[in-house]
Amino acid sequence: MKIDRRSFLGLGLGAAAGIAVSPVGVKLTDDSSIWTQNWPWTPVPEDGEISYENSVCSLCPGSCGISVRKIKNRPVKIEGLDEYPVNDGGICLHGIAGLQYLYDPARVKSPMRKNGDRFEPISWDEAISLVSGKLADVRDSGAPHTLGLISGGAGGSVTALFKRFLDAFGSPNVYAMPSLEDNLSLTAATLHGAGNTIGFDLENADLVLSFGAGLIEGWGSPMACFKANSARRDRHAKLYQIEPRLSNTAANADRWIPIKPGTEADLALGLCAVLLKKNLFTPGEFFGGFNRFAAVVQKEYAPEKVEAVTGVKAADIEKLAVAFAKAKMPVAVPGKGRGDHGQNLKEFAAVQTLNALAGRLNKEGGAFVMNPDSYLAFPEASMDDAAEAGAGQEKSVGSVNELVDTLNASAKPVLNALFVYNANPCYTLRDTKRVKEAFKKVPFVVSFSSFMDETAMASDVILPASTFLERLEDVPTGGGLAKTVVGLTRPMVNPIFDTKNPGDALILLAQAMGGTIAESCAWDTYDECLEEVAGDIWDALSEDGYAVVSEGAPMGTPGTDFSFLASNPASVQAGGNGDLLLVPIDNIRLAGTAPASTPFAVKTVSDRVLSGTDIVVEINPETAKGLKDCGYAVLITSQGKARVKVNFNEGIMPGVIGMVKGLGHTFDNPYVAGKGVNVNDLIGPVIEPGSGMDAAFGIKATLSKA
Amino acid sequence: MIQNTKAHKFGMVIDLDKCTGCGSCMVSCMAENNVPFKEDESRKKDSITWMRVYKLTNGKSFPDTEVVYMPRPCQHCSGLGDHGHSPCVSVCPATATDYGYDTGIVSQIYTRCFGCRYCMGACPYHARYFNWWDPTWPEGMESYLSPNVSPRMRGVVEKCSFCYHRYQLAREKAYVEEREIEENEYQTACTTACPADAIIFGDLNNPAHQVHQIVKPDPHPDPRNHKVVGKSRNPKVFRLLERLGTNTKVYYMSEREWVRKAGDSYLDGEWDEVKNHHGSSSSHG
Amino acid sequence: MDSALIPEGAKRCPFPKFMLGMAIVGAVLLWGVYAMFLCWFKGLNQTNMDDYYGFALWIWADLAVIAVGGGAFFTGLLKYIFKIDELKNIINFAVIIGFICYSSALLILAIDIGQPLRGWFIFWHANVHSMLTEVAFCLSCYFAVLTIEFIPNILENRQLNKVSFFHHLAHNMHGVMAVFAATGAFLSFFHQGSLGGVAGVMFGRPFAFREHILIWPWTFFLFTWSAAAFGPCFTLLVTKITEAITGKKLVSDKTVNLLAKISGWMITTYMIAKIIDTVYWAQVTAPSMGFTLDHFYSNNAFYGYWILFAEIIVGGVVPGLLLIFKKTRENPIALLTAITLGVIGVCLNRWVMVLQIMAVPVMPFDTWALYIPSWQEVATTILPVAYGIMLIAVSYRYLPVFPQELELNKPAQATE
Ligand SMILES: Nc1nc2c(c(=O)[nH]1)N[C@H]1C(S)=C(S)[C@@H](COP(=O)(O)OP(=O)(O)OC[C@H]3O[C@@H](n4cnc5c(=O)[nH]c(N)nc54)[C@H](O)[C@@H]3O)O[C@H]1N2
Ligand SMILES: Nc1nc2c(c(=O)[nH]1)N[C@H]1C(S)=C(S)[C@@H](COP(=O)(O)OP(=O)(O)OC[C@H]3O[C@@H](n4cnc5c(=O)[nH]c(N)nc54)[C@H](O)[C@@H]3O)O[C@H]1N2
Ligand code: SF4
Ligand code: SF4
Ligand code: SF4
Ligand code: SF4
Ligand code: SF4
Ligand SMILES: [Mo]
Repeated sequence: MKIDRRSFLGLGLGAAAGIAVSPVGVKLTDDSSIWTQNWPWTPVPEDGEISYENSVCSLCPGSCGISVRKIKNRPVKIEGLDEYPVNDGGICLHGIAGLQYLYDPARVKSPMRKNGDRFEPISWDEAISLVSGKLADVRDSGAPHTLGLISGGAGGSVTALFKRFLDAFGSPNVYAMPSLEDNLSLTAATLHGAGNTIGFDLENADLVLSFGAGLIEGWGSPMACFKANSARRDRHAKLYQIEPRLSNTAANADRWIPIKPGTEADLALGLCAVLLKKNLFTPGEFFGGFNRFAAVVQKEYAPEKVEAVTGVKAADIEKLAVAFAKAKMPVAVPGKGRGDHGQNLKEFAAVQTLNALAGRLNKEGGAFVMNPDSYLAFPEASMDDAAEAGAGQEKSVGSVNELVDTLNASAKPVLNALFVYNANPCYTLRDTKRVKEAFKKVPFVVSFSSFMDETAMASDVILPASTFLERLEDVPTGGGLAKTVVGLTRPMVNPIFDTKNPGDALILLAQAMGGTIAESCAWDTYDECLEEVAGDIWDALSEDGYAVVSEGAPMGTPGTDFSFLASNPASVQAGGNGDLLLVPIDNIRLAGTAPASTPFAVKTVSDRVLSGTDIVVEINPETAKGLKDCGYAVLITSQGKARVKVNFNEGIMPGVIGMVKGLGHTFDNPYVAGKGVNVNDLIGPVIEPGSGMDAAFGIKATLSKA
Repeated sequence: MIQNTKAHKFGMVIDLDKCTGCGSCMVSCMAENNVPFKEDESRKKDSITWMRVYKLTNGKSFPDTEVVYMPRPCQHCSGLGDHGHSPCVSVCPATATDYGYDTGIVSQIYTRCFGCRYCMGACPYHARYFNWWDPTWPEGMESYLSPNVSPRMRGVVEKCSFCYHRYQLAREKAYVEEREIEENEYQTACTTACPADAIIFGDLNNPAHQVHQIVKPDPHPDPRNHKVVGKSRNPKVFRLLERLGTNTKVYYMSEREWVRKAGDSYLDGEWDEVKNHHGSSSSHG
Repeated sequence: MDSALIPEGAKRCPFPKFMLGMAIVGAVLLWGVYAMFLCWFKGLNQTNMDDYYGFALWIWADLAVIAVGGGAFFTGLLKYIFKIDELKNIINFAVIIGFICYSSALLILAIDIGQPLRGWFIFWHANVHSMLTEVAFCLSCYFAVLTIEFIPNILENRQLNKVSFFHHLAHNMHGVMAVFAATGAFLSFFHQGSLGGVAGVMFGRPFAFREHILIWPWTFFLFTWSAAAFGPCFTLLVTKITEAITGKKLVSDKTVNLLAKISGWMITTYMIAKIIDTVYWAQVTAPSMGFTLDHFYSNNAFYGYWILFAEIIVGGVVPGLLLIFKKTRENPIALLTAITLGVIGVCLNRWVMVLQIMAVPVMPFDTWALYIPSWQEVATTILPVAYGIMLIAVSYRYLPVFPQELELNKPAQATE
């Protein structure tokens, strides 16, 4: 007994001591720590030679030059391209995060056909024959004009190729999403004659009077504006920002002039009135009833009247007008925020008229009235009878928003087939319910989207587009810039999935349709097509990666036609009902348009904008009766209702609710979608008579405790 | 120590009047340094952002409100008396974060860090982030990760490195060509991305560098507070929490007095005494 | 078998009853163990800690158990070095409590660090400037000392003692115990201090930072002092609880009062130092960084002046006074109140020196950060308590922990 215990215990102790002194413990400890430093589930990026390739970003109309860093031909980082004429090295967070789009969880990985309410993958051959078959039916039914196209802002040969396809097909029904560039062209056409557009020489102006233009929230060519704005401080130039909210642009400006939403036109005309009254204007080639205009504005837009409408003090209006007239190189800039949606012609025209009266047309640092004859030279399209007939046809309606309403209004299909290219109207147009309804009215919708976004989901067939990193394309800068630069987007990688350049998809379709349509698109590949149609600038594009199409102040001073404003068109009013006014606010960190934001971009968004899956709206504490900062509330407009969180912001005008754009996506990407609400669900369009623009700068609303 | 003139002392000055709050610096940093992301990044206290842009307001009510954005990378503190004992470095028990006397850069060694998080408690700028989660990427996205910065594993701390790998690349090149590295050869990813040119990066010890010319760092301790070294002699330039003696190498610049005041805490009346004092050899009032 | 292990003549509850108790506490222990494994295998995302709260509940528990475990080194110091022989009646128990506290502390650290398998880097790549390095070294060494101090008591188990080798070993170890006690006291002085230093050296955190003497901030000395002062309170408190549960008197009032008296004077002197420190910090140190006292105790939902008052007056001055006056000290209720308040007080101090530091905003545009622990944190924090109860129960049942037990309970046994 005793012996046993003793020997047993002795043995135990011996063993313990033995293991303790042996190297086993030390070895195991060391190995385990080394293991934690090489966990198999922690990726180890492959190393290799570093190289850089230049391209151009086409995520927005900015068309910035980018430099893509590669390791063994594997892209690892996108950076701004130094000395590029648009952005000189600067780059926005969407462009930097561009590589995330390649592997976006919502990417369409191959052609898709809708079967019931689900999509099933099909081969390109199947897809092409399916679509061409449907299109043939439409054409043979004798109504080729019932094929429509909705395309996103940007110009370039792919969009042109789409238009050409519709021409040859026999349809005039081409519609562009609202864009700053189109708004400026319409303004130029109204004031200075068709075929023109307007650019603002922000780089040289010494006083920029911005009517809400989001010069650092993505207006026009975003990075070009950033550069000009930042250089302004070194040039001792001034920026006055007129906006209902202390946007980043307003915060960065030398002066913020709060104004009641939607009354920018009244202020602009008020300033015109002062210039005329004080005889501070520079006479020019003014026609179309200049005197009538002078009389009307001095009567209807006298400072006191304007103060009542805009909330800007009459005295300040006078001072502002004088400051503008006295400045050496002033320029007035229209286009709230990004200048495309919620805009109206009256406002654009009024602001541009201010430039005309101040004698700032085609002057350094002023507003350039440019005639950008397209650099694209397509050969004559071959047309058959049907095409000729279609060419004769009138376009069904003026604007994409009117198209949507018409589709919903009429019993029998206005369109039998619809192409959607580079656009997400089911997300970005106001009153998305209305848009989705309209899409249901079209028997056959073909999307060319890279991502399974809201519009792609509403279509019958998807011919997935390769992203800007996977394809060749010419990308001209969007509106607002004083110069036009065409950049060449080059493929940085082979398509990751079974996608095509939309140009190639279109050529395949044309070939399949045969006849004159095939003849009109008689290229083997889109790349060939581009090389041909880019004609004169192709060499520059392929060698330097870009071509500057126009630069510097155009010759001579254009005339200005006052007939539109002399008729004193009515200002657009916000629709709906409620004691507050909901306006969309724009946040450079969120892609308001397409493609939707990346995970990185969403990560940077403040918790005062997005909190978990709740959207946070801004309101001045003065108007937030009964509400708690960071508390829940219910936001109601005539369009709908949303549960939101509230952020007390002294930087927003009392009575105004600000809701960020770019949230509330409903597709399948847990990092980006399913967060907050889409402000476009809550705002309905208000079409401006004549221009057809959706002029809804906001909508009346109520906000109450949840 | 840093006093040895051959040593670099890399630092930054950020022009807050130029900063637009656009966030390019944040994303450029994430993309450059393989920073991971989660489905919900709106809980900012569990969201890895080596560069974080804070929004400050002057606290006035409409329409006198003003807003400024303040980008905050790691401040690369030189520590009390500028001796390299940064708040974080001095407390790390495992020497997993260290002060580079040749560069002034505060390093972070992920494979040595054992995750005690003492350094995080010690850093008043919240520049340090802990990997609470295993970093993961959606299918395929690993393919864009850069080999120049090793992805971190769960359970360790990470932070801004002043893009040290960029310094290494520049240094190697210069070494091979037997010369000093040029100012433009070593620039951080946030600096180069900034579309407003708000960030200026360089060697605070090198009078030829822009950052030195703007900051004009005072080599002598601040007579009013001997913990403070390298105070800027430019009246528009200030540092975050300078009075703590962390001696940061990230400087900020603004024309606006309320912004400069927002960089530190002051007792009633103190600001008016110190606002015109700019270092020992300062001429200003 | 069970009865064969129970100390000679000692009366213990029936084995089934004992096992039932163990089972109940064991269940709680298992809950904690489960949480512990969650933290190890899934990572610290199981907690509610974040980048503002890198130090949270665990580190508080760690500092707290080490503080109250201070009774071991201090009692040891008094008995073996200052030869206050009366304390032999409680030294075994003090050592066991210390052993529990320190083993718990080490376990908590092993759960708290993000890379447990690299924990040893703290020794391998030691940074001599870091207070935590000092803590790690002293803590582990002192734990070894406590183990050595515990062994003879274990060897005195009725069966083990029959082995003459163990018998002699135990006897001789008692002989040299003074050496270990001295070592233990020395080590404790440093790790208790360096735990205080952990907070005091954070010059980026005006709420934590304190002026230095040589390389040590004030908190260094305050922590050692408070551990020595309040540690005995905890030893006494646990003794009282054990007595209540076992229904026996285990330590003579003479011993208890003596330790209580010493503790009382330590607490009182500590509070004087602590109050001076607080005033100097509030009037000089913090203001020199631009901070008023108000900044630390306002504009948030939890931390107000109440916590300062609770720590210093209720948990410090009051128990101190109650214990130095014979009259209150020898009144059972007052004594119990005093040692309880004392224990709460020192724990509150450790809480403030860990969690409030993390909560206070430092950058002028930053905000207060509050935090609520996750159940995993709570469970892993309760784990050591359960483990402690079980170890005490086993030791009490099978080891001659309380030398006075038999004589103090003679009458009780006679009546049976
Ligand atoms: N980051 C990013 N940049 C982009 C894009 C993107 O998707 N993401 N897209 C690019 C494209 S396609 C374009 S066209 C542009 C568009 O860029 P923006 O035109 O800036 O976008 P919007 O949403 O139209 O801008 C809305 C702004 O107008 C302001 N606003 C709303 N109502 C009123 C009002 O009544 N009065 C005044 N004064 N202001 C008002 C809001 O505060 C908000 O700041 O951005 C380009 N840049
Ligand atoms: N909520 C909100 N609404 C807005 C705005 C906003 O800021 N917020 N901004 C307004 C503005 S600025 C505009 S211009 C409009 C823009 O609205 P849209 O012109 O509709 O632009 P996106 O919404 O970006 O739609 C682009 C579509 O093309 C797809 N796509 C992306 N890359 C490619 C490609 O390379 N090829 C092809 N074929 N498809 C591609 C995308 O998946 C997306 O479906 O939205 C307006 N509406
Ligand atoms: S501004 Fe537009 S074009 Fe330029 S990088 Fe950003 S997304 Fe791309
Ligand atoms: S990138 Fe430049 S402008 Fe944009 S937030 Fe960063 S520092 Fe400011
Ligand atoms: S900012 Fe924080 S992390 Fe960076 S060096 Fe200073 S203390 Fe360390
Ligand atoms: S967390 Fe890592 S880096 Fe920070 S102190 Fe601990 S070991 Fe050092
Ligand atoms: S310096 Fe480099 S690591 Fe630091 S914030 Fe800028 S980009 Fe990120
Ligand atoms: Mo647009």
